[in-house]
Formats: sequence, C-alpha cells, structure tokens
Amino acid sequence: MTHSTAERRANYLGIFILLAGFTLVETVVSYVQHEAIKIPVLIALSLAKAILVLLYFMHLKFDSRIFTYLFIAGIVLSIPLILVMTIVMPIIAGH
Amino acid sequence: MSESTKFMPVPQSENTKVGMWVFLGSEVVFFTSLILVLLLTRLVNSNYEAEFRSLLSIPIIAVNTFVLVASSYFVVRALEAIELGSQKGMRNNLIGVIVLGLLFLAGQAFEWTSLFRDGMTYSTTYGMPFFTVTGIHGTHVFIGVLWAIYILAGHRRLPYTKVNHLGIENFGLYWHFVDIVWIVLFTVIYLI
Repeated sequence: MTHSTAERRANYLGIFILLAGFTLVETVVSYVQHEAIKIPVLIALSLAKAILVLLYFMHLKFDSRIFTYLFIAGIVLSIPLILVMTIVMPIIAGH
Repeated sequence: MSESTKFMPVPQSENTKVGMWVFLGSEVVFFTSLILVLLLTRLVNSNYEAEFRSLLSIPIIAVNTFVLVASSYFVVRALEAIELGSQKGMRNNLIGVIVLGLLFLAGQAFEWTSLFRDGMTYSTTYGMPFFTVTGIHGTHVFIGVLWAIYILAGHRRLPYTKVNHLGIENFGLYWHFVDIVWIVLFTVIYLI
C-alpha cells in the first residue's frame, strides 16, 4: 500500500514560499554579469525547485519508490539523446 | 524516504497512477529533446544575447512563473482538501488553478504578441525553437485547464470523496510536471 493521507501531508505553504523565494532570487541573480557565478547558481536553484515539487507536491518522498524509478527512467532514456545531440550533431554541423 | 517506503507495492486500484508516472517519464524525454534543440541553436549561433534575449521581458516572465508555481500550490491544496473530505475546499482550489492557469496563458499571449511586434517570428533562428517549446508547454497548460474544468463539471454527477480521489491525484501529477518543465524553461530560456 502507498502511505496514508496523514503520512503524506507536508507543509505545503512552506514549500510554496520557498519556491516563490527561489524564483525571486533567480530573477535577481539573472542580472549579475559574472557568468561563472550566475550560471551555477541559477542551475542549482532551478534543480532545487524541481526537486521540491517532485518530493513534496508530487509526493515522491512519501509514495512507493516505484514511481521515482519510473520518473528516473525518463531521465535515463534522455541521456543517449543528450549525447547524440550535444556531441554528434555539432560535428555533423561542422562546429 | 523512509525504509518502509522503499519497496512498497502499488495496489491495483492505483494502476492509473502508475500509468500517469509512465506518461510523465515519456514526457521527460520529449521535453529534453525540445530543450536540447533550443540549447544547440544557442551553441551554434553566438548572437543569442543581442538578437533574442534582449527582446525578452524577464520581470513579466518571473511574474508568470510565480503564477504557475502558485497554481501548483492550489492543486496540492485541492488534493489535501478532498483527502480530508472537503468537497467545497477541493472545488474552490480547483477554481483557483483554472484562474491561475488562464492567467499564465494570458501572460504568454502578451509575451508572444510583444515578440511578434519586435519582428521575432517562427521563421527566425531563435523564434523557431522558442515558439515550439513554449507553445508546446502552453498547450500542456491549456490541456490542464480543460482537465480541471472537466473535473469540476463531472464532480456534480460523480463526486470525488475522501476515499475515491485518484482522478484528482493524477491531474495533480500532470499539473506539477508541467510546472517543473516551466521551472527548467524559465532558467534555460530567460535567465541563463
């Protein structure tokens, strides 16, 4: 059985405030001119937001791990696509 | 995740939820390919900042991002309400989702109109991948809005209950995934 309702409940308002706060920080950071700082910070914030939504709003933290594996399968299946498009395509295009 | 969660079997009654996660896994591959096209276009052409990014309004899109994140909050509150047996709470939160979803689409329409005015069309180098990926995402939001309306309309005939509310949960999974896609797009297209 998956977990009961009470076990799955999280502080949704707290998660929402975090997500909104991260969005605000991202927007401010996007105006920073220093790319070496800006890009890693923006990627980290984006990942943090996505993980928060997955874990708490989509309940992956509380549900059966089967659902997590199904989602990760999509990411794993994307890897060959990423490799082909980032390594092979620029070579074909002559860049 | 607790130890007991690791290998919890999924009851047969939740087959549609398994199906939804399989669908979302396939959507990951789909959106990854679209985002890669966008990134490759940037990689191959070095004038992204001058030709395209300067036309984008970051503050307006940040507000739109906030709207979509807020809609996700309403979705999870709708699920929480029905899990507690409050049909009124579920209905009110779903109305909030519909309003915020439509607001997001209106924001996107405003952005597109502004870009068209500035000469950014589908036939331009950056316009093609941009309008494709944001258009397909917007279509997903639109389908989500229709789904929420369908739930509200069908709820009168066959109400969801404290025990039977898997339909709301599946809708929530779809909506949150669409939110995650936007979180990635916001960073990749607008911020970096």
